[in-house]
Amino acid sequence: MSGIHAVDLKSFVTDSVKRVFATMLSMRLESEEPPDRTSATTGRHFVGTVGFAGAVIGSVNISVTREFAQTMTAAMLGMSVEDIGSDEEVNDVIGEVCNMVGGDLKSRLCDAGFICSLSIPSITYGESFRIQPKGWDRHDQYGFRNSHHSVLLEVYVKGVN
Amino acid sequence: MALKVLTVDDSKTIRMIVKKAFRPYNCEVVEAENGVEGLAAAIKEKPDLIILDITMPVMTGIEMLDRLKSDAGLKNIPVIMLTAESGKDNVVNIVQKGIKDYMVKPFKGEDLLERVGKIMSIEPRTKEEPPEKKPMKYFTQIDDIVVLKLPAKVTRPETVEVESSLQSKIKDMAAAQLNRMILDMGGVSETNVSLIKLVITVFQHCQKANVAIKLVATSKQGEELKGFQETSQITVANQIGEAKAML
Repeated sequence: MSGIHAVDLKSFVTDSVKRVFATMLSMRLESEEPPDRTSATTGRHFVGTVGFAGAVIGSVNISVTREFAQTMTAAMLGMSVEDIGSDEEVNDVIGEVCNMVGGDLKSRLCDAGFICSLSIPSITYGESFRIQPKGWDRHDQYGFRNSHHSVLLEVYVKGVN
Repeated sequence: MALKVLTVDDSKTIRMIVKKAFRPYNCEVVEAENGVEGLAAAIKEKPDLIILDITMPVMTGIEMLDRLKSDAGLKNIPVIMLTAESGKDNVVNIVQKGIKDYMVKPFKGEDLLERVGKIMSIEPRTKEEPPEKKPMKYFTQIDDIVVLKLPAKVTRPETVEVESSLQSKIKDMAAAQLNRMILDMGGVSETNVSLIKLVITVFQHCQKANVAIKLVATSKQGEELKGFQETSQITVANQIGEAKAML
């Protein structure tokens, strides 16, 4: 399905990510071009993922370092990084951020005629791993920066039929 | 009378943000993490308002909404959807099911309150009322000794709740002339930073109030406590009876 190539994801996704960070975390993100994949995925890092399936299938991945994931968690929960009790809280925050961006994208795809459903978020955590895109119609990467932290957002989309 | 609000969302973070938003108001917030739990809570608690997510495991918010609307006893409870999904058709379909409002994430607590304020009256807490119900569920008493039993999971929200309850309990103890406490952490499944901080905090509160305190923990937990400077000197009993004898 080539129609998916015509959908303008870039402006929509970048606005969505910036809005989620500004509203929920009171953090200002700047777009970073080209995306700094290395900074966001070096060492121990989190990847939040939500999938969507229907007239198109795909997923949204957000990668951040452990350090920034903890900063995000503290910001969203209104506490200090030292007060974060466990990675469970970090997972929940990364998952929810991913859910908001993914939900926004899913809604945009539905409005463009690509009716699909959203999955619940999942989290991958570790170091020295890389998620390789294979067989997608689109694989878009968007980079963002907050101070010295990078955020990498990847969108994978494939048309069905 | 406090307004009872049921927040149904699989994200604990979102439930916390909702709870925090209502804190200055005369509201009691009940939580559920999926549609099945949400329905059960709606039946049990008969809330005045339900704030409902859509994408959740076990049962989605849409399924829960359908069940609410088909139940004569629940169908009139106002529902505000709070979800990341904003597709036009989706919103129209859900609005037609009879909800009061549809709010799209990301959101701020004050925006949620503004929406709530449009469909019902929410009153600020009066000064006479405690800022929040202090749950005393963690406390029991054996003879004249108060036992504080920690929950299986201790993260930041539990530490805040336990500490808040402890402060009230210590006042009650002073009024009742009780001055001995056992802190039982034997049922806690994971030793983490929040737990260590909570143990230290409980000891500090007790010392300040001249309440004698002993700690009950498993042998493994006892070893783990030795690894932290602040808790390394605490004497650990393995059983309540043993701690009681030490007091």
